[in-house]
Amino acid sequence: MQNVRVVITGVGTINAIAPNADAFVTALQQGRCGIGPLTVFDTTGFRTRTGGEVRAFAPQERIPPVYYGKRMSRADAMAMVATLEALQDAGLLPLPDGLREDTGVAIGGGAGGMLEGEAAYQRYLSGHADTVRFSDFSAFCGASSADHMVSKLQLWGPKTTFMTACSSGATAIGYARDLIRDGMATAMIAGGTEPLARTTYAAFNSLKAVDPEYCKPFDRNRQGMSLGEGAGMLILESLPHALERGASIYGEVLGYGVSCDANHMTAPDPEASGAVRCMQMALADAGVAAGAVDYINAHGTATPANDRMETIGIKRVFGDRAYHIPVSSTKSMIGHTLGAAGAIEAVASVLAIARGFIPPTIHRDVPDPECDLDFVTEGARAATLNVVLSNSFAFGGNNTSLVLGRYAAEGIVP
Amino acid sequence: MTNRVVVSGLGMVTPLGTGKEDFAANLFAGRSGIGPITAFDTARFPSRLGAAVTDFNPKDFISIKNRRRMDRLSLMATASARMALDDAGIAITAANRDRIGIILGVAYGSTDVAAQFMGTLFTEGPNLVSPILVPNTVMNAPAGHASIELGFRGINSTVNHHEASAETAIAYAAAEIQKGRADVLLAGGADIFSSFFFEILTHFKALSPVDGGEEGARPFDIRRNGPVVGEGAGVLCLESWEHALERGVIPYCEIGGWGLSSSPAPPTDWPEDPKGPVLAIQRALGMAGILPDQVDYVSASANGGRNLDRLEAAALSHLFAAQEKKPRISSIKGAVGESFSSGGIRAAAATLSIKEGILPPTLGLHTPLQPFNFVKAHAIDMPVACALLNGFSSGGTFASLLMRSVDGSTDLHGATR
Repeated sequence: MQNVRVVITGVGTINAIAPNADAFVTALQQGRCGIGPLTVFDTTGFRTRTGGEVRAFAPQERIPPVYYGKRMSRADAMAMVATLEALQDAGLLPLPDGLREDTGVAIGGGAGGMLEGEAAYQRYLSGHADTVRFSDFSAFCGASSADHMVSKLQLWGPKTTFMTACSSGATAIGYARDLIRDGMATAMIAGGTEPLARTTYAAFNSLKAVDPEYCKPFDRNRQGMSLGEGAGMLILESLPHALERGASIYGEVLGYGVSCDANHMTAPDPEASGAVRCMQMALADAGVAAGAVDYINAHGTATPANDRMETIGIKRVFGDRAYHIPVSSTKSMIGHTLGAAGAIEAVASVLAIARGFIPPTIHRDVPDPECDLDFVTEGARAATLNVVLSNSFAFGGNNTSLVLGRYAAEGIVP
Repeated sequence: MTNRVVVSGLGMVTPLGTGKEDFAANLFAGRSGIGPITAFDTARFPSRLGAAVTDFNPKDFISIKNRRRMDRLSLMATASARMALDDAGIAITAANRDRIGIILGVAYGSTDVAAQFMGTLFTEGPNLVSPILVPNTVMNAPAGHASIELGFRGINSTVNHHEASAETAIAYAAAEIQKGRADVLLAGGADIFSSFFFEILTHFKALSPVDGGEEGARPFDIRRNGPVVGEGAGVLCLESWEHALERGVIPYCEIGGWGLSSSPAPPTDWPEDPKGPVLAIQRALGMAGILPDQVDYVSASANGGRNLDRLEAAALSHLFAAQEKKPRISSIKGAVGESFSSGGIRAAAATLSIKEGILPPTLGLHTPLQPFNFVKAHAIDMPVACALLNGFSSGGTFASLLMRSVDGSTDLHGATR
């Protein structure tokens, strides 16, 4: 096994507060809220009406014809937008021919093409299955976005789609880093994509997990999440390859951890046992002491159970130091983007490292005695970040934590 | 840390039976799991056949408390996971549970539950959808349920890529054990077919008879006209060689290598060029340090589909045509159908082939599309030192696993199975 270091050389995103990574930095620094009334589908009859929507998304304006496919779902198109931005950012668009066999795709999916699949299903329900379009049905499989990416970018490397609900995007990045570290790929496009869809919106509403207004992570009056949509992609590359081609390096994927609560399908373990093991695994994998973590990008969904659990978990991992580590939930601005969440939060973390700031938690107006960490509630903070931990906890008790770091030639900066 | 990865337990719920004894007996006797679908009315469809699971009783495997919360897919997956652990002789304890986990490939998931959920949503409105259904609409429900029922808290993941879902999951699990991130990982796949899924598949001409002729699964046959849909779960218990030896267990076989690749095919379509599958196989062989002429047996991905079988034949021809010793090839999808995550069941079959020295037949294959060394209507006895398992999917995702015998390994002294 080669154990080569894996660095991040490009980032791309599209979400409720930004059409690209540069705008994302500005929006995060301003603490902008992207949660508002939904227009992507009719919310009549739903308990709630708000979400973190990507407004006025016109795929064909964002994707050059050579990379556009008319069968792309909203999720596929957002994935492609973020991918092209990340590749461009990395100086890898078009991808050199010599790299195609050794470049793959690992992405986290959630509802995938559900928005389009719902239309297909409605036709099926009304007895018109014969009029269902193939493009709509293919949406039911979460693999569609990765398939489009490989097809349009002409790749031959490993391809995997993770379907672990809200931790998918983070797992994809950890997995992609491992493939490069093991020498099974030279570069990977890693991230996640998620569309708003009636089915997921109805599902979380039926669980009464959605705040009718906007989500308020770690606030005493929090009532649940806001669902969001978007995509986040990272270009991961072996360090020798990045150095050889003179790429500018954003940071390094230092490690990741995956654990399972084995407790309940939709509620987190109140003792935070799974989250604690996951964070500890990630730190151990990264070879980083808990004391080195400068910032935690929290899962922070704003459900009463998650935020309480995550606070307990952070205290258990970091001890007294937990109170001195800035912790923020970027979901307070873009909503919970499910399968893309871990990926967009990784993009936010990488940008925070590169641009020297800590994104805030907005809408945390009333402190909760049970959530008493430094949640960066006063607005974005300037800071030099060397090591960032990003948490993603999901349905099914699936937990993933990523450790991202500033790149330094000599290794991790303590 | 670089651990060797072995298979030490098998569990499955298949159209050929539940559990390794029934499955192996039916598989090697050349019985077919394919028959007319009885679970729903197929009269208005051009296809009527399926490989359904018929002899599965969840009560034998899963507690009442958790059974109530699971749908058919999670029941099959969880039962298979329990069988694999039991077969490996592993009891979950407070001491080992954090180092034991599961990685499953799920291609389409609980299409029955999803259809029920959306049915309520679109006919009765969003406020009437049942929160009880929600957990089972997500693809990672089977792995989540299995962890709750069986109590393991290590790595837990679910991957998805059409027909290659389970092979991708097994490769991922093997890599995690190789790195020492877990001692034991259950790995495989699970999928079911529902009336909704079946109707959509027939509408898109994804099933035999795609363009007329007699319905049936005929892998690699010139008369093939599409796959027959299947269902079921197959789970391997993977663990590190050291961990198995410490427990005094002789594993069934070793996962010596794995190769992953893709191909720029249009989504849901198949590439013309066999380069993608060739790369996956070469990467698996390369990692295992095996030359093509050392491969004794290929468990093929072919399902009777026009394009998949042509593509796989082209890849096998590219790799093996020039050499004198040709591997034996069979596809058990002629007996278990195409469940999309059949890789778990097929990996279990390949494991049994290595252990027992029997190769399963390719039911439905009469006139091969290429003159390969096929195992046709009847199983044959043959020692297998190296087996190649292919998982090739539409949309161009390819995963190959190189599985090899542990016979002759000198460091097994004292271990018993």
